Amino acid sequence: MTGTECVHEPLVVEAVVSGRWPARVDEALVAHARECEVCSDVAALASMIHDDHERSRFEVQVPAAGQVWWRSAIRARLESTQSAMRPMSWMHAVTAAVTIGILLAAITVAWPMLSPLGDQMWAWAVGYFQNAEVAAALASGLRQTVMVGAIAVAVLVAAPLALYFVLSGD
Amino acid sequence: MREFTLTDMERLGAFDEAERTFQMTEEAFRAFYELTARPVRVYLARMTNDDRLADDLLQETYYRFLKSRTAFENDDHRRRYLYRIATNLVHDHRRRPHVETPVVLTSESHPAFSDPGLAERAAKRIDLHRAMARLKPRERSMLWLAYALGWTHEEIAASIGVKSGSLKPMLHRARQRLAGLLKSGGRS
Repeated sequence: MTGTECVHEPLVVEAVVSGRWPARVDEALVAHARECEVCSDVAALASMIHDDHERSRFEVQVPAAGQVWWRSAIRARLESTQSAMRPMSWMHAVTAAVTIGILLAAITVAWPMLSPLGDQMWAWAVGYFQNAEVAAALASGLRQTVMVGAIAVAVLVAAPLALYFVLSGD
Repeated sequence: MREFTLTDMERLGAFDEAERTFQMTEEAFRAFYELTARPVRVYLARMTNDDRLADDLLQETYYRFLKSRTAFENDDHRRRYLYRIATNLVHDHRRRPHVETPVVLTSESHPAFSDPGLAERAAKRIDLHRAMARLKPRERSMLWLAYALGWTHEEIAASIGVKSGSLKPMLHRARQRLAGLLKSGGRS
């Protein structure tokens, strides 16, 4: 026996947990526990804790086994559905990226066709307005308008698509 | 995240799927649950000092248990694994930031006080609950597993994740702390 342990300690604990302490235990062990500091502490605390455990077991309310099984089954199903949906979210993100890429490519391809339109506007403006400075300012404005318009159209088409995919991905 | 809902047909399918996904049949689960649910619920309540949280963790404990792929050697192994899940869940919950709402035990909240003959015993239990609540979570686990359930040092060490050789002095210290708290009426 040391200051922190005693060879009889497991016997005392076993007697308490099996509900035999102190009435149905060897008297020598009970007598030892009275003298031994470790065993008396163990007996007192283990009795309190074990008594609390036994009483609480009868007082406590637990859900029915079927209810716990049912909730677990539903949750397992939901989780498997969610994990099955995860690749779909990735697909949406990839589709959105491809759509935006195609739109940008279309603008790049269309740009050379839009430049002659700007030159035609320039020629028309010079012919219509005899003043070259006014014509230049107007043509420059029109050219910028064409550029802004092209970007606006791209954004107007791309933004709803992107929003759709982002929200459906959630 | 989108909220998933199941149709009635899917719910019915969930039961068939559960039999395949879970590690035991519903019948076997019912038998195991009847044996273990009350002690595990009491354990969770003592570890958390919160009955509502203990209810939530009880469901979570059994869900994780059912989903586990561990091969169990026998019923004792299965039971110890269940407590290990419960212990880990309590520790996980403690690590999360939250506001602790300690349970205030009063004569009204304790059923035993309705019988005057049991009042003294009930008062001792309240003292024990208060003192246990002031212990460290690991100390509570050790004392409960050792003295409420009668687990061996090896079983406790495996359950709370410490070396078997370290358990004896740790248990001794926990016991001394609890004794000290009980003597001082639960005040540290």
